[in-house]
Amino acid sequence: MVDPANTPLGKMLLEEITPVVMVLCTPLVEESCLKNGLSFIQMLSPFSNFTNIDVPVRTASDQPYRLQKFKLRLFYASDIRQPNLEAAKKRLKEVITQAGEKDFSEMSSDPAEVRDLLSRPESEIIPTWFQFFNKELVRTLSFSDHEAFDHPVACLLVVSSKDEEPINRFVDLFNTNKLPSLLNDGAMDPKILKHYLLVHDNQDSDSEKATKLLTEMKNTFGPNDCQLLCINSSQDGQIHHQENPWAPFKSDALPSNNIGCFLNIDDLNEIKDLMQELSSKHIIPYMEQKIRILNQQVSATRKGFKNQIKNLWWRKGKEDALDSPDGPVYTFSSVESQIRILGDFAFMLRDYELALSNYRLISTDYKLDKAWKRYAGVQEMMGLTYFLLDQSRKEAEYCMENAFNTYIKLGPAGQQNAIRCGLWWVEMLKTRDQVKEAATVYFRICSEDPLHSAVMLEQASFCYLLSKPPMLHKYGFHLVLSGDHYKKCDQIKHAIRTYRNAVSVYKGTTWSLIKDHVYFHIGQWYAFLGMYDIAVSHMLEVLASSHQSKKTQELFLRDFLQTVQKSGKTFEVLKLQLPVINSSSIKVIFEDHRTYASAAAASVRERIWRSLEEDMVPSLSTARTNWLELQSKLIPKKYKESNICVAGEAIKVGIEFKNPLHIPISISSVSLICKLSPNPEERNSDENSSNLELPNEENETSTSSRYVCVVFVIYMHTNIFNSLNNYLCLYVYLACISACVNVVYARIFNFLQVQLTVTPMAEGILKIVGVKWKLSSSVVGFYNFESSSVNKKVAKGRRKAKHPPGDNLKFIVIKSLPKLEGRIHSLPEKTYTGDLRHLVLQLSNQSKVPVKNLKMKISNPRFLYAGNQRELNVEFPACLEKKTNAEQGGGHTNNNKMLQNLFVFPEDISVKEETSLSWPLWFRAAIPGNISLYITIYYEMEDVSNIMKYRTLRMHYNLQVLPSLDVSFELSPCPSRLQDFLLRMDVVNKTSSECFQVHQLSSVGRQWEISLLQPVNSILPSQSLFAGQALSCFFMLKDRRKSSTSEDSILSPSLLQSDVTLGRQGNNEALFDVSCSPLADFHSFERMQQGMSDQGVENKTDFIFISQLVKGNTDSGAPSTPLLFSHHACRCSLSRMSPVSWLIDGPQTIEHDFAASLCEVKLKMTISNSSDSVASVRVNTFDSPSNGIQSSDAAGTQTGVSSENQSGWFDIPAVNDMKVITTDALATRLAKSLSMESVSQFIWSGSSSTKVELQPRSTAEIPLQICVFAPGIYNLSNYTLNWNLISTKDEENQGEADKSSGVCQGYPYYLTLLQSS
Amino acid sequence: MATTACFIIVSRNDIPIYEAEVGSAAKREDAAQLHQFVLHAALDIVQDLAWTTSAMFLKAIDRFNDLVILLNPLYLPGSRIASSHFDTKVRALARKYL
Repeated sequence: MVDPANTPLGKMLLEEITPVVMVLCTPLVEESCLKNGLSFIQMLSPFSNFTNIDVPVRTASDQPYRLQKFKLRLFYASDIRQPNLEAAKKRLKEVITQAGEKDFSEMSSDPAEVRDLLSRPESEIIPTWFQFFNKELVRTLSFSDHEAFDHPVACLLVVSSKDEEPINRFVDLFNTNKLPSLLNDGAMDPKILKHYLLVHDNQDSDSEKATKLLTEMKNTFGPNDCQLLCINSSQDGQIHHQENPWAPFKSDALPSNNIGCFLNIDDLNEIKDLMQELSSKHIIPYMEQKIRILNQQVSATRKGFKNQIKNLWWRKGKEDALDSPDGPVYTFSSVESQIRILGDFAFMLRDYELALSNYRLISTDYKLDKAWKRYAGVQEMMGLTYFLLDQSRKEAEYCMENAFNTYIKLGPAGQQNAIRCGLWWVEMLKTRDQVKEAATVYFRICSEDPLHSAVMLEQASFCYLLSKPPMLHKYGFHLVLSGDHYKKCDQIKHAIRTYRNAVSVYKGTTWSLIKDHVYFHIGQWYAFLGMYDIAVSHMLEVLASSHQSKKTQELFLRDFLQTVQKSGKTFEVLKLQLPVINSSSIKVIFEDHRTYASAAAASVRERIWRSLEEDMVPSLSTARTNWLELQSKLIPKKYKESNICVAGEAIKVGIEFKNPLHIPISISSVSLICKLSPNPEERNSDENSSNLELPNEENETSTSSRYVCVVFVIYMHTNIFNSLNNYLCLYVYLACISACVNVVYARIFNFLQVQLTVTPMAEGILKIVGVKWKLSSSVVGFYNFESSSVNKKVAKGRRKAKHPPGDNLKFIVIKSLPKLEGRIHSLPEKTYTGDLRHLVLQLSNQSKVPVKNLKMKISNPRFLYAGNQRELNVEFPACLEKKTNAEQGGGHTNNNKMLQNLFVFPEDISVKEETSLSWPLWFRAAIPGNISLYITIYYEMEDVSNIMKYRTLRMHYNLQVLPSLDVSFELSPCPSRLQDFLLRMDVVNKTSSECFQVHQLSSVGRQWEISLLQPVNSILPSQSLFAGQALSCFFMLKDRRKSSTSEDSILSPSLLQSDVTLGRQGNNEALFDVSCSPLADFHSFERMQQGMSDQGVENKTDFIFISQLVKGNTDSGAPSTPLLFSHHACRCSLSRMSPVSWLIDGPQTIEHDFAASLCEVKLKMTISNSSDSVASVRVNTFDSPSNGIQSSDAAGTQTGVSSENQSGWFDIPAVNDMKVITTDALATRLAKSLSMESVSQFIWSGSSSTKVELQPRSTAEIPLQICVFAPGIYNLSNYTLNWNLISTKDEENQGEADKSSGVCQGYPYYLTLLQSS
Repeated sequence: MATTACFIIVSRNDIPIYEAEVGSAAKREDAAQLHQFVLHAALDIVQDLAWTTSAMFLKAIDRFNDLVILLNPLYLPGSRIASSHFDTKVRALARKYL
């Protein structure tokens, strides 16, 4: 370790704890010195510090040592007193304020990074004024009564040779009345070494008189103690000292060139010699002597075992007498003070061993006396002595801590002392590289005085910074604490400085509250100083503090706006955080060859459109691969790679502003920043392309305003934070010259969607640079799209991501083109299932160029398809009505076209310039749900010279289709007649409020004849089906093919009753023709939907149920006409029925004489095959009833489904005379009960198994016979029919309804046999 | 006596990922950042301790083990814990220990 004396603390101690010389001088002496701009003490001061005095010293021990460094402190007698605390504080404050001004002006604009800071040398990091401040602080404690090192060791009496009666003056000077009170009241020893000095001013006269006086003095005061000093030897006062020795002692700003101007080199040497002699010949020997004397005294009274016991005893006895809290008052003559003086003198003469032993001695005494301040003072000195001895470090620290704590315990009285002690302690720790501990001591020094605390805290923070490893968190924290204290004392510049240093710690962290606090206060303070620009820049950091409470956010915003206002400027901030722009929300919508009918269409994903347009538009890929293609020649490579837009057509930019705060903010003047520059290639190649003069590109900003016509459309959807009412505002603003338009004042609560539109009016290259807005009408925020476009998703990026994203905002503006605008009139947004309407598509062409070759594709033909031009002006429900003389034209369907969903307009159709085209469309709400309809219309320009040959118009509609009627059908065969079927129709009204009128049921196709079993009036008298109501109707369905020849049905279709009206019987409402467009078309779509070919199986039939809604809640274009609803049911079939049916024919009742013989009954079974295949049928009869039960059980499980419906079937008035409709379950039950009593009362005679083959659609008869042995009622159901279809055609794919084989349980057939009498 | 405790979970690189203020004292507007300051400054000590003595560190972890488990494996380092469930859990625990 280095010599303790060379450490900062050692140097400080050697400077501060040195002998004090009291100076008493006459005013004339001062006068002479002031000629040089110096006081007497100032004149001597530079020469009272000796670095190489080389004086031998012998203190208590016999071993002498040599002293090299020595220093005297000179004080006027008037200054030998405890400094005024208030004055001292004021001075310290001045020091700080000055330092603040200086540091603030030197502060760099940007706070350094912490890492950079650490790489610098220590001296650069820590402000230099700390050292000075600390020294000043220590000096405020000089001449305290409990310490002896400030006691004057000697007294220098100075009289001028001009003084009258100099000898008397000398005597007068040391008059006790004028001496400092400390000497008089006994705290200091007034008996000190006196040295008499006569000052002679050479300017006044010769030195002769002075020499004479000196002799006189020597006679009076003794020859050794008198000296003469001649000054001001230079006559002209023009002496300039190369290195002005007084400069460090004259800090106050006097013109320094005057200092010492009358002192020539001789004078200086004389002063030097004087001080040297004073030190080495007088003061040091005097101190040596005093030490020796005191040491002897102390040894005599206090050393040795006897004295110690005595001392202890004496002090014990004295204890009770104490009453003063500070302990007893000690005069300089008391033993305790003598010991202390001895210690301090030894310390000043560097005999630290001696000093320490005395300090130790006195320390216990003071402790016993409870003289705490003195005790602390001694402990402090012990610590320092230990340090300088470089002995026990622990002891040193322990003493310092003890002293510090003792001072602190004293309360305000010890506060200043504690500070000094702390500062020394800190230095001690720093010397030993215990920087961290030093910081905690600094922290402990903090007193009530906030200004001192601030400085101490700042010093502590630097300690943390310099500790190894650096403790940056603590550094920042203490800087902030320090800043707060500075602020309390109105040292704003210091506060800013500390906070700005702290920023370097907190920058980049996510401790948001801390960051906000720091930035906000820096901003506030800068604003206080009137530096608004920098204040605003700091406050910007806290604007978007979403985590803060509402109150704090309000405060931040208010202060920010006030600051901006005070500055009187409009700030333009490149990255204003308020409001936040969600960069992923930026959407650019533009139209090249793809045009959109509505914003909704533009927001649909490109993939959907592409798949829709796939086979409609000329493929781009083929154009590229085949170089012969015309198109590849027409579109230069450049155009393919960047976005194309058309002059005069708007580009829409959707931006979402988000307010991160809890409070509303207001923004206005949202505008796009665009740049339109002439296309350089265009200019060279085609000079006629634009009539406007194209200015040079350098002049871009002005160019933009000349060429861009900006139309701003702003949609604001404001989502109010606390779920207040949402509202929608629409602002439209037109401007033709400026790109910045004053648009809107919006108070944003949560977020705001803005759509900005730019319309280029001339050809060239358009670039969308960014967006600009005004916050609270005072700060302009910019947002540059390009700089932050990494994540940006441009909605219509035509070619993938191989281009830099900035290109998405670059457009090549081409010559204006025709653009079709399309609209479907009265397409409902909300409707019920089955709604059938006639709509009109209107296409208008606003341009001067006609378009041709129109094609249309609709995504969902089940809902919408294009009609025939003839149908444009038809009256809607009426046109569907059945004509009496059937025109076949109505039945024309567009099946082939519809299969591809592509509708090609007739070739002669074109949309002429400035006209519009109307085209009929048929609409039917096929299924319930939210339905999206996509319609795309392709057209070509007549003007072939264009870059674009074709364009597409994309339309998108969303429908909400609600369920209306639920229609289901059930067919069952009629056992009595093989060609007849019973149809049950169930209709349930699923709506909540609508009332439907049933109108008509039609079967599709020609082969069915339909008739009501029962007039609807009896079930539904009003014909209206109210909400929630259900209706069941029964119809008879007759297969016409069987009953009549095929030629007949074709020849007279009008005779066919394939439709039945459900309306009032007398009402002759016209029936609708289901075989013509659009019902037939929609029906075929429905069939297609269900994956069915047109060739139906005979047993399956389709129905169309038509109802009407007179007054609906749906939004209809013409509310006066009733809405028509059609419900299509396809493939209603006898799916559960077997293709084989049969009847047993025979007598019902027979009278027979059983006594004579058994009775033979002949029966006939007629079997019908209704399928298209050959059926092989085997009839098994069996006599054992158990067999039958088993098989019937099996049959029951197979067809058990139908049992659910059995309840519905009982109330039907029996049209047929046989109850054929009983379910299998019932049959089983009957069979069981009957078989119990009539077991084997009859047997089947004849063969037990008969097999027949049935041709398709044919019948066969089988004879059956039974023998009955007793009278009774017999159920002849114990037989089964096993059928098997032998497929002639390959019809396996007909589905599971067409079972190829099956077993049928016999029907109950009751035979009554009576005994004939 | 009304006391307030501020509980912050700090992830690597001193990023606070969860903050909760618990205690009976009325919340002070200006105290919010003070807590952060104090806790942030304390990180230096924690860093020291974490390297020197493992005992105390482990103990602290152990005690709030259930909280640690709640952290999900899909957690993105540095992102904040926003789960309200976690929040209520912490507050409940705080009531138990304070």
